[in-house]
Amino acid sequence: MFLWIVFLTLWSLLFVNFLKADHPLRKNTVLILGFIILGFMVFLLATSNPFERIFPFGALEGADINPVLQDPALVIHPPMLYLGYVGFVISFSFVTAYLVHGDFSIPWERDIRNWSLVAWIFLTAGITLGSWWAYYELGWGGYWFWDPVENVALMPWLAATAFMHSLFASSKSQILKTWTLFLGIMIFALSLFGAFIVRSGIIDSVHSFANDPQRGIYLLTFSGFMTMFSLAVLVYRMPSLNSSKPIVTGSKESFISMNNILMITSIFSIFLGVTYPLIVDALSGEKISIGPPYYNAIFSPIILIASIFIMLSVDALWQRGMRAINVLTAIAPPLLMSAAILYAIWAEFHIFSVITFVGILSGLLIMTSYLFQITTSFVLGKYINKGSAMSHIGLGLLFFSVSMNSMLSYDKNINLSLGQSQFIDSSITKFSFNSLDRNQASNHEVIAARVVIEQDNKILYLQPEKRKYLTRGQITSEAAIHASPIKDTYLTIGDQLEDGSWTFVLQVNYLIKWIWLSAILMATGIMMTIFKRQTS
Amino acid sequence: MSIQNFFLSLLLFVSFGLLGEFIYEFSDTTKEKRFYNLISEVRCPKCTSGSIASSDAPVSRDLKDRIYQLIREGKSDQEIKSYVSDRFGAFSDYSPPKEGVHALLWFAPSVFLWLLLLIFFMRRRF
Amino acid sequence: MNIARFFLILLPLVVIVFYGKVLFSVADDDLNQFESKPLPEFFLLNLEGNPVDVSNLAGIKLLNVWASWCITCLVEHPYLSELSSKGFDVIGLNYKDSSDKAQNWLNKYGNPYQFSIYDPRGDLAFDLGVTGAPETFLVVNSQVIEHIQGELTKKKWETIFLPRILAAQGDLK
Repeated sequence: MFLWIVFLTLWSLLFVNFLKADHPLRKNTVLILGFIILGFMVFLLATSNPFERIFPFGALEGADINPVLQDPALVIHPPMLYLGYVGFVISFSFVTAYLVHGDFSIPWERDIRNWSLVAWIFLTAGITLGSWWAYYELGWGGYWFWDPVENVALMPWLAATAFMHSLFASSKSQILKTWTLFLGIMIFALSLFGAFIVRSGIIDSVHSFANDPQRGIYLLTFSGFMTMFSLAVLVYRMPSLNSSKPIVTGSKESFISMNNILMITSIFSIFLGVTYPLIVDALSGEKISIGPPYYNAIFSPIILIASIFIMLSVDALWQRGMRAINVLTAIAPPLLMSAAILYAIWAEFHIFSVITFVGILSGLLIMTSYLFQITTSFVLGKYINKGSAMSHIGLGLLFFSVSMNSMLSYDKNINLSLGQSQFIDSSITKFSFNSLDRNQASNHEVIAARVVIEQDNKILYLQPEKRKYLTRGQITSEAAIHASPIKDTYLTIGDQLEDGSWTFVLQVNYLIKWIWLSAILMATGIMMTIFKRQTS
Repeated sequence: MSIQNFFLSLLLFVSFGLLGEFIYEFSDTTKEKRFYNLISEVRCPKCTSGSIASSDAPVSRDLKDRIYQLIREGKSDQEIKSYVSDRFGAFSDYSPPKEGVHALLWFAPSVFLWLLLLIFFMRRRF
Repeated sequence: MNIARFFLILLPLVVIVFYGKVLFSVADDDLNQFESKPLPEFFLLNLEGNPVDVSNLAGIKLLNVWASWCITCLVEHPYLSELSSKGFDVIGLNYKDSSDKAQNWLNKYGNPYQFSIYDPRGDLAFDLGVTGAPETFLVVNSQVIEHIQGELTKKKWETIFLPRILAAQGDLK
C-alpha cells in the first residue's frame, strides 16, 4: 500500500504538471487526485501502519519473507502492476473532473491518451510477470489458473483495453463518448475491487495477503463512494453527452463497438465467476468452486467471435460501411489460410477438442488477417497502422499459443531410485537419476537431484531441488526447466517413498516462450503507437 | 531349460529391476489424457487454492491414486467426479454444477451479451 | 434512455452492498453446511487387532481422526478426554499411523477412546473426506451429520456439535 501511494503521488505530480496551468480541468483533477491520495493515506495509517513499533523487540532475524516470494520476478511484478493501476487512477480522476466541469467541448481524449497507453503497458507487464513467475517458481508448470486474484487483475485489464479502443474511436469519430467515460470509471472501480478482494480475506486464493475485515470495510466504502460519485455525475450528464452521429453498420467503429461489448461481457463473466460462490454460500451455505473448466467454456466462443470482428475490422473504414465484395476479398484469404493451417495441425497431431481448436482458429484468423494486411500494404504501398498490427498479431499469437500448449503438453509421474534410468516415450528416450546432493544455502537447506535426459537426440542436464527454509520451516520445490523455442522440459522432485526411491513429475510444455512473446508483441505495438508522430 | 536360457532370463529379470516405473501407467493415451485432465479439475481439499495436480499434500496424492484406479476400472469422468464429490463435497470440483438453479451461472454470460446488444442496437448513439 | 441510467446506478450499488454483507458474514463463518451422509462401509481392525463391530458405532458417537505424528491432536487431547469423561462416546480413527506408535502415544498421553479403528492406509478416512488430522465427525445412527476440521475447541463444540447432539438426544427419547 505504501508503494501504491508513492507511485500514485509521483504519477499525479507528473500528470498535473503536464496539464498546462490554464487547462480548464486542472483544478478539478488536482482536487480529485488529492482526495484519493488522502483516502489511501488514511487507510495506510489506520489499518496497516508501517511506522508502528513492535515492543519490546522486533524479530531479530526479521519475520522472513514467504520463500516463494524470494525471487527477482516477484520484486518487479507488484511495482509494474501498481504503476498500471495507478496510471488508471489518473485517467479516472481526469474523467471525473471532465464530468464535473461540464464543458463537453474540451478535448479530454487527446490529453489522456498517451498516459492511458503507458498505464496499459505497465498493467500488461505486471500481469505477464505474475504469470511468468508462477510458471517457473511455483513448480506446478502452469501459468494461469483463473484464480480469484488473477481474475481481479484481468478485469481492469480488459476494461483498460476496451477503454483504449473506444478512446481511439471517440477521438477519431466523435462517437462512443458516454461509453468511454463509463469505461474510464470502471477501470478504477475494478482495480480497487481487486485490492479489496485481495486484502480483505473474503475469498480463498493463493494470493490472499491478509484476513482482515477492517481493511475490507475501509476499501469497500472508500472505493464504493468514489465510484458511485463518478457514476452519478455521469448519469446526470448523460443527456448532454450524446454523440452527434450514429454508428454506421460495417464501419470500423461498429466492429470496435462489438468487441467492446464482448470485452464487457468477459468482465461480467469473470466477475460472476468470482462472486457466484459467495452468493451460493450466503444463500444456502453450500460451498462450490469455479475454476478453469467454467472460464474456458465461457471464453471460447467469446474469443472466436472477437477474432472474427477483428478480422473484419482490419480492412474496415472509419464512418463508412464496406461493400459486400470488399468484405469477401478481405476475409476470404485469412479464412482459407487459417482453415488450411488448422487442418494441417489436425493431420499432424490427431488430437481434437472443441475448446482448443476454437482457440487455435481464433488466433490464426487474427494473425493471418494482419499478415495479409502487411503484405498488401508492402506490395501496394497502402497505409498500415504498424503499432496496431503488431499488438493484434500479439493477441492472435496468445490465443494460438495458449491453445496449442493446452493441446500438446503432457505430464509423466515417475518413480526412480538413485542410479536408475528409464525410457519415457519416443521423444524422451532416457531419463537418468544420477545423484542427490544435500547442501546448505544462506537461509535454506537444499536437496538437489541431478538428472540427465536424452530428448530428441539431445542431452539435457536438469537439477530440480527441494528446499527447506530455516526461519519458517516452509518447504518449496524448485523446478528445473530447459526452455527451447518449441517446448519446455520441466522437472520437479516429489517425495521420497518408503523404499528409498524418489518421485518426479516430468512435464513437456509446448510453446511457452511464444506466450511470453505475445505479451511482448502487444506491449511493443502500444509503444510504437505512443511514439508515432501525430498525423493531423 | 539350457544354461544359456537360464542366464538370459536372469539377465532380463535383473534388468527390469534396474528400471524405474511410471507411477500412473496407462494402457492407452486417451486414458492417460483423461487422468491428467481430471486431476487438473479436482480441487485440492486441503490447500487454499489449486488442483490436486499441482499439490503434494498427502490427501492430494491419495486422490490421484484413487482416480487412477477408477479410470483403470473403466469409470467415466462424470462417475469419477461424483465419487470425489460424495467424499469431499461439491467444493472439490472446479467445474461448477450445472443442474437446477446453477444453470443460471452457465447461461448468464450469453444473456448479458444479448442484453447489451439489445441496448446497443436500440440506442445507436453513445 | 432512462433504463440504462437506472441500471448504471443500481447495479454497482447492489454489488457494493452485497460484498459488504459478505464481509460481515465471513467474519464469523464457521457455519459450514455439511452434507450429511451414511457412515461408509469399512473392513478394518481396531488397534488391538480385532475386527470392528459396526454395531459399536450405533447411537450418538464422536469419531475422532488422530495419529501419533499429529501435533494438533495433542493440543485437543485434554478437551477430548474431558468430553469422554463427561459421558460422550468417543471413538478413535487412527489415521496413517503404525499401531506400535499409536499404542505408545495412547499409553503416554491417555486413551479417551472406547476403541480406535486402525486405518493405516487411510481408506475409511478417504471415504469420509478427511483432509488431515485432527478432524472429528459426529455420527448419529450410522449417519455422519457434522464435522469439525482441525482442533476440537470448546467454542466449536458448543456451536457446531452440541446443538445437533441435543436435537438427536431429543429424537431418541
